[in-house]
Amino acid sequence: MSAADQRALIDDLPGDLMMWVLIVSELLVFGAGMLAFLAVRITDPAGFAEAQSHLHRTAAGINTLVLVTSGWLAALAVRDAEAGALARLRWRLVLAAGLGAVFLWLKAGEYADLAREGLSFDSHPFFTFHLLLTGFHAAHVAAGMILLLIVALPATPRATEAGAAFWHMVDLVWVLLFPVVYLI
Amino acid sequence: MTLTRAWILLIALSLGSTLVAASGLSGRWLAVLVLPLAWAKAQVILTRYLGLAQAPAIARGFALVLALFMAALIGLAAWPA
Repeated sequence: MSAADQRALIDDLPGDLMMWVLIVSELLVFGAGMLAFLAVRITDPAGFAEAQSHLHRTAAGINTLVLVTSGWLAALAVRDAEAGALARLRWRLVLAAGLGAVFLWLKAGEYADLAREGLSFDSHPFFTFHLLLTGFHAAHVAAGMILLLIVALPATPRATEAGAAFWHMVDLVWVLLFPVVYLI
Repeated sequence: MTLTRAWILLIALSLGSTLVAASGLSGRWLAVLVLPLAWAKAQVILTRYLGLAQAPAIARGFALVLALFMAALIGLAAWPA
């Protein structure tokens, strides 16, 4: 592939190149974590199944709908930015961030119940992975909420697209993490 | 596919995962049915929400890596204990 072809390929990429570097880096980290989780599970399937029964599966399922809907609002906000509909864009980003708060509230309920049961990082390898993967993801949700609210201020197409792209990465990680940690 | 249709599809796939999980299936069969639904959701987010539908060559690269990753997940999940 010539340098011109490579340049054309990068130019095709929607949004900011550095945001894509960040997205790919995050996906690799979470992907490695999920593979390690399933590899360790092979050594103790019964223990992992018992540990999984302590999680809030229903709340996690609701959280999938919450994040997917939040991602939809962020995607619509990008379209609003291109159309110059700034008021609608800001409302959508605030609603998307609000759904992020709902996600964290449901997740906090699960963490609180695990703590009440005396289950923590060192109770079982399942909880080490669960708390690391979902905790790291929850930190990204919190960061994404702040980012959405920040980009709502200038509300330029470039800023909105970058904020929404980060939010979609958070959404993408969750749709893969949810079945691996909570369902199978 | 419009953004709203993509959202409806994501909701439908999520509800599909919930139905499969609630059906009483467990073990490798649950993994073999649920993980492809997650795979489909990831593809929708990449192509429609993240906009890779506008960059077909890059979208194909992402789709290939995602396919390998999902195959590894399914393989590990279905691995005999």
